Amino acid sequence: MNRKILAIFQRDMKVSMRDFIALYIIAFPILFAIVINLFVPGINDSTVNIAMLEDDDSEHIAYFKDYALVELFKTEDDVRHRVEKRDNIIGILPEKDDYFILTQGNEPEGIVDFVKTLRAYEYFGVTSSDTSVEFVDLGRTIPPIKKLLVNVAIMLSSVLGGMLIALNIVEEKVDNTISAINVTSISRGGFIIGKSIIGILVPIVGTISMLILTGFGNVNMVQILMMLLASSIISILVGFIEGINNNDVMEAAGNIKILFLPLMGSVAGAEMLADKWQKFFYWVPFYWTYKANDMILSKSGTWGEISLYTAFVLAISAVVFVVIAPKIRKGLEH
Amino acid sequence: MKLWYSFVKELQLSSKSWYFYIELGMAVVLLLILLFVIPKESDSRRDEYLYAGDLSSDYIDLIYRGILDEDDEDGEYERVEIEVGGDMFGADLFVTDTRNIYFVDDREAVIRLAEEDKEVGIDIVLGSDGGLKYRYYLQGYESNKLRNLYMILHNNKVNFKFVDRHMDRQTVKTIEENPVVMNNRENVIPVFLTYNGSLMGLFIIAAYIFLDKQEGIITAYAVTASKVWHYLLSKIGVMMVTTMATGLIIVVPVMGLKVNYLLLMLLVIVTAFAFSSLGLVITSYYRDMMQSFGVFFIIIIAMVIPNISYFAPSWEPVWIKWFPTYHILEGFKELISRGGDTGYVLLVSGGFFVAGLLLFIFANYRFKKTLTI
Repeated sequence: MNRKILAIFQRDMKVSMRDFIALYIIAFPILFAIVINLFVPGINDSTVNIAMLEDDDSEHIAYFKDYALVELFKTEDDVRHRVEKRDNIIGILPEKDDYFILTQGNEPEGIVDFVKTLRAYEYFGVTSSDTSVEFVDLGRTIPPIKKLLVNVAIMLSSVLGGMLIALNIVEEKVDNTISAINVTSISRGGFIIGKSIIGILVPIVGTISMLILTGFGNVNMVQILMMLLASSIISILVGFIEGINNNDVMEAAGNIKILFLPLMGSVAGAEMLADKWQKFFYWVPFYWTYKANDMILSKSGTWGEISLYTAFVLAISAVVFVVIAPKIRKGLEH
Repeated sequence: MKLWYSFVKELQLSSKSWYFYIELGMAVVLLLILLFVIPKESDSRRDEYLYAGDLSSDYIDLIYRGILDEDDEDGEYERVEIEVGGDMFGADLFVTDTRNIYFVDDREAVIRLAEEDKEVGIDIVLGSDGGLKYRYYLQGYESNKLRNLYMILHNNKVNFKFVDRHMDRQTVKTIEENPVVMNNRENVIPVFLTYNGSLMGLFIIAAYIFLDKQEGIITAYAVTASKVWHYLLSKIGVMMVTTMATGLIIVVPVMGLKVNYLLLMLLVIVTAFAFSSLGLVITSYYRDMMQSFGVFFIIIIAMVIPNISYFAPSWEPVWIKWFPTYHILEGFKELISRGGDTGYVLLVSGGFFVAGLLLFIFANYRFKKTLTI
């Protein structure tokens, strides 16, 4: 029995590798990890943005670089062009023996005042060592935006695992091999397990690689795996039902696209909405997955909490299973 | 005439497919999100929570007056209640154009806000030298630049009156007095039009063609009087109609009459044409979707890169301009922002039309060649 299940898995793996699909789905979280590593440091700096000329006095540039995100440009026109863009960035340009501040006209006054204050401090020779500030560090090193992006990537890779199953089933349907399975000695359960392995294994490999690449390699991997397995059930169920209901790849891809809505919706809901709105997301398994992953990534989740959230995901998956299992069974009979 | 019949037939067929309605449905859902979830103007004010309860009332008055002067606020502060982990605390709230500053009645609340809600918490105490000390509760991931900024803003080296005088003397030049800036909703539209519109054609047309390949429809063209390019162009026509429909579903309710629809549709049509033709070329090299998935995957990932510089303008390397989607995004942005550069939109449209035409001619050649395989 186990050998047959393994054979189905090996067959799917071979097909997916031949067309590089599994590789792309594994590559997706890794690509995502690279993007996160490249861009998060920039997003994290919530300070003032200043545009200056690169051939300006180096001490003058260095002073502002200590306090603000400084972008350097070749010409005055480049600075002007940059200031005109949508975000709030202020230009500091030389004029005769002095400098002037260049604004687009829609920046909050407070930001312009920040730059003016810095210029005044430069004039008076004030530096950060003249401070009356002391810091109490709470010891958190991972910026929230990075945690959020990694969390979303984990969930996306689990959905992509479901998509892989759907694509494999659609392919079997096109080749008319599903009905052939019915006359072999493998049970339907065995077939389903065999088909599911790839949809679990590929996201696991992708997720672990991504966690290591983004510096989350030291989180509790057992908890991550527990959550990933629980949320994979939904992806697998959706993958099966999509594979069975759809006759071509286009429809399957379209339907998977719909799945992204509750996923992104629950992330946005959990992050942006007030407590009183949270209950509207309780039915979405992604909501609980997101919350649990968040705790695991910030190392603040106890085993009790993570187990409870896993139980919620499993319970919702069970309801979905009860509803769609007859359809899957019927679909496999044809 | 045959082309027209072929196009109408394709349109009828696709109007019966589930995918067509998913696209329209997704556009409606995105519209609802745009209208009801994304606020028109986002409040970029940062919250700061301070405790100054250990200071004498004279000091507190001085600090309050400092904030009101500094930001030229004519209004007074307001008394509010804030919730911290289920407990309520009183606070005086000052709203400036960049910050919401809360003076909370309880030090414990400020520390809890920093620890539990990751807010900026500041405890103001009297130093041994009689001056004020600011104790910032930071998370730990704040950059050195931000820490330096906090440090220099509260310095004891120079009297603020001198700083004020210097600030008044500085020259500020403004590019536009009242620049038209796209609001949050308008800002998302170019991205939607580019990715769910123009770029969609690339992938979907491939799915359509592979379906027809499986069913042997393409091979059947070898024995009909109809020309292959009629077939290909009618497929592209369907993509154009879908893209126009989904585009209009989003643009009309958000923008109303504030857009030049003629130019907008021109850009939508030519970009859909170019990407669909590219899709056709790629399709002609593969047997099914699974085989060609990799090429589409790489192209789509590459085409998404300009999106990053669209949302994060500080990252715009020179090479990003070599990506076609960069110019589509900029083109749509020019159209959506009032007073945009019409010349640029026409230039981009012309470029995509020429590129699309060349790709289409090549796709036609490829399909004719591989028809009987």
